[in-house]
Amino acid sequence: MPHTLALIALLPLVGFLVNGFFATALGRHRTNERTAGLIGSAFPLAAFALTIKAFFDLQAGGFAPIVEPLYRWALIGTSSFEIAFYFDRLSAIMTLVVTGVGSVIHIYSTGYMHNDKSFGRFFAYLNLFLFFMLLLVLGRSMLVLFVGWEGVGLASYLLIGFWFDDLANAKAGRKAFITNRIGDAGFLLGMFLLYRAFGTLDMDTINSAFVSGTGAALLVPASLVGLLLFVGATGKSAQIPLYVWLPDAMAGPTPVSALIHAATMVTAGVYLTARMSGIYMMAPEASQVIAVVGVLTAFFAATVALVQTDIKKVLAYSTVSQLGFMFLALGVGAYGVAIFHVVTHAFFKACLFLGAGSVIHALGGEQDIRKMGGLRHKIPLTFWTFAIATAAIAGIPGLAGFFSKDEILWYAFASAKGGAPWLWGVAALTALMTAFYMFRLLWLTFMGASRMSHEVEHHVHESPLSMTGVLMLLALLSAGGGYIAIPHFLEPQIPLPPIVESLEHYEHTLLYVSIVLAFAGLGLAVFMFGGPASRPEGIKQAMRPIHRLLSGKYFVDELYERVIVKPLAWFSDVVLLRGGDKMLLDGSLHGLASLAQRTASVVSRVQTGSLHVYALLVMVGIVGALLWSWRHV
Amino acid sequence: MGVIALLSAVLMLVIREPMRVALALITTMVMLGGIYGLLGVHFIAAFQVLIYVGAVMVFMVYVIMLLEVREAPGHARYSRWLVPGVMACATLIAVLGISVYRSSAEVLTAPGGAPFSLTQFSTLFLSEYWLEFELTSVFLVAVIVAALAVIKVSRRAHG
Amino acid sequence: MDKVQLLLLLSGALFSLGLLGVIVRRNALVMLMCLELMLNGVNLSLVTFSQQRGDAAGAVLVFLVFVVATAEIALAIPIVLLLVRFKRSMDIDRYSDLKG
Repeated sequence: MPHTLALIALLPLVGFLVNGFFATALGRHRTNERTAGLIGSAFPLAAFALTIKAFFDLQAGGFAPIVEPLYRWALIGTSSFEIAFYFDRLSAIMTLVVTGVGSVIHIYSTGYMHNDKSFGRFFAYLNLFLFFMLLLVLGRSMLVLFVGWEGVGLASYLLIGFWFDDLANAKAGRKAFITNRIGDAGFLLGMFLLYRAFGTLDMDTINSAFVSGTGAALLVPASLVGLLLFVGATGKSAQIPLYVWLPDAMAGPTPVSALIHAATMVTAGVYLTARMSGIYMMAPEASQVIAVVGVLTAFFAATVALVQTDIKKVLAYSTVSQLGFMFLALGVGAYGVAIFHVVTHAFFKACLFLGAGSVIHALGGEQDIRKMGGLRHKIPLTFWTFAIATAAIAGIPGLAGFFSKDEILWYAFASAKGGAPWLWGVAALTALMTAFYMFRLLWLTFMGASRMSHEVEHHVHESPLSMTGVLMLLALLSAGGGYIAIPHFLEPQIPLPPIVESLEHYEHTLLYVSIVLAFAGLGLAVFMFGGPASRPEGIKQAMRPIHRLLSGKYFVDELYERVIVKPLAWFSDVVLLRGGDKMLLDGSLHGLASLAQRTASVVSRVQTGSLHVYALLVMVGIVGALLWSWRHV
Repeated sequence: MGVIALLSAVLMLVIREPMRVALALITTMVMLGGIYGLLGVHFIAAFQVLIYVGAVMVFMVYVIMLLEVREAPGHARYSRWLVPGVMACATLIAVLGISVYRSSAEVLTAPGGAPFSLTQFSTLFLSEYWLEFELTSVFLVAVIVAALAVIKVSRRAHG
Repeated sequence: MDKVQLLLLLSGALFSLGLLGVIVRRNALVMLMCLELMLNGVNLSLVTFSQQRGDAAGAVLVFLVFVVATAEIALAIPIVLLLVRFKRSMDIDRYSDLKG
């Protein structure tokens, strides 16, 4: 069927329009909640079905990429910009994840957002987000990708600040958008360089040119372009230094956190880098930078997650950390492995976030884990799904996270394209911390004695089926998702890096180390938090300064505020507003006006009202005219 | 005759009372009429005396008598711009004189035709310059209308 | 000097004196009369040229000047009358309402 890909992208857009016009305040809430929820979920599901079909089409064609041109957007001079869709193994995986996980999160939202006054608006925005995300992953040229890129930024802003009556939420949305834009500057510069060299932004063309090392590829400084694109990725995928928006983004409703800030949008940077792997294969310096930034981000975020007390903040920092892992993989050339981790992360992180949402829903809005505990028997479904997802992220063998994370650690150590023991060391330490803080979260939330207040405890109830059903599905995927051998699926398109020969035999050793780390983390967490409260308290007192540093998120936000935001605000106000706008522009306008006025008042003195003067001037004029006529005598 | 005309003109500038100024002007005009006669264009001379002296100046004299202006003894005769005016006037006369003096001989001594007659003049009016002829009629009508308007204004102001 | 030149000089002199009169005299009626003097000067030069060239077109123009002069007087005098009535003076220097 022609235009399948376009339809996949456009169906959610239709959902956005329908819900946007009928289910919102704009449409005077014509449809009721059920209809809005139905429409909102139906379109993504339809898109998912189409994606499956497209996948089978792809398979039938021997996995040759399907190119679907749509129309020509612009013709400027001799350069033409086409809108076209592209479906190959990589896009297939991404699209399946986006539509699949997206659809189930929509279904979850029908339960979670029940009785919210802006129910329709929520689904409209969520559909809009899906539309842009699909543009991003299905686009053939970087231009379409960029449209999607910006669009998901917009949707993210709208959804983070969804409950904008609270100013803090609106500010968080703004922070996300602006931080993103800073990264986009780098992205744009990279695109300009590529366009100048290639005359087109089609990613498949650019990639193959780089891989074969021919033609225009030689003109482009691959490392520079790689770094610039990575700057864009740091903004979108929350790496150092532009990760600061992600924890604040937790102000949005939990399904938003799950979909956008765990499963899909934040992985856009990873997708971009994997897609442009041709450039990175030719740019060892850029790749090295990516790997280092990735592993450092992973490490630092994990340290902060150790001491967070808000259930969603723990998960937010965990996301930043896991994204760091993905970039580590990208940096050492294991692009397929990074995508593998994207998929497994989507499963378990979405499950975790939605589970957290279920907990929050059960507790009537409480998010502080110090006020939880003992929920295990009260909301068992939520507990078990959360536990499975936690085990997955911690890397307990057999579950999805174990496979993808272990591959990343292996390649970090042994890849011939930048792997190094110290990368592995830091990453392994981070993995240990991941296990620890995730089990800490599990224990403090569900186990032990209840620290809830009485009324809250009284109202605790399991979530409706729309929510728990999704949780169960995602938990299943978290458990079994690791068996889908994605890196090998992607290999024909994106090759895995070669392994340093001398290190080959370490593979099994490292595997055991990973298992040990996972269980060590589990054990430590149980030890600390399974026993009396005095144990963690004691440690906290002993390491007070470090604890303060970590709780304060290394005070990075404060640093940015002091160093960047305040000077910028000062500059805008004093130089641009007062100096430039008021003085220069207003001043020149007023100056011109008063100049005209003064000239007029001076000149108008000629009209004295006295006839004598006029007659005198006439005479003088005549004399002058006559004298003038003498020139040619 | 030209001398007398010039003299009267200068007198016009000097004399105080408007009545006497009017007399000086009449003198000038009559002298000019004489000059026209000497030049041979008798009908124009007739027009000059008839229209100018006969109608215009009579009207002028009538108005002067009507307004009965009497100026206060210390009243200045001239405006502020006497000196600059005289200087400019002298310059103008000088310039004109020089132009006339310098003007090429051809223009001045062109073979003049016979002095034309009234017949010639009238036929010209009705043939070549008939448009101007009609326009003057229109013009005069306009003048009459304007005069009526002025009367109305004056009536409204008065009553 | 030639007769024609003399006449032209006279004409110019009459015109200038008339203009001077407009500049110099303060009485409104006298100003009007000086205007008439200017017109006369112009007429003289027209007649001179016309006669010298034998072309009656000049005479036509002279006639038209007569007409215009008459009309002008017919209107100017009532206006002066009104002005005098409002300003209660014939002094031109008092008529500076259009100043600025």
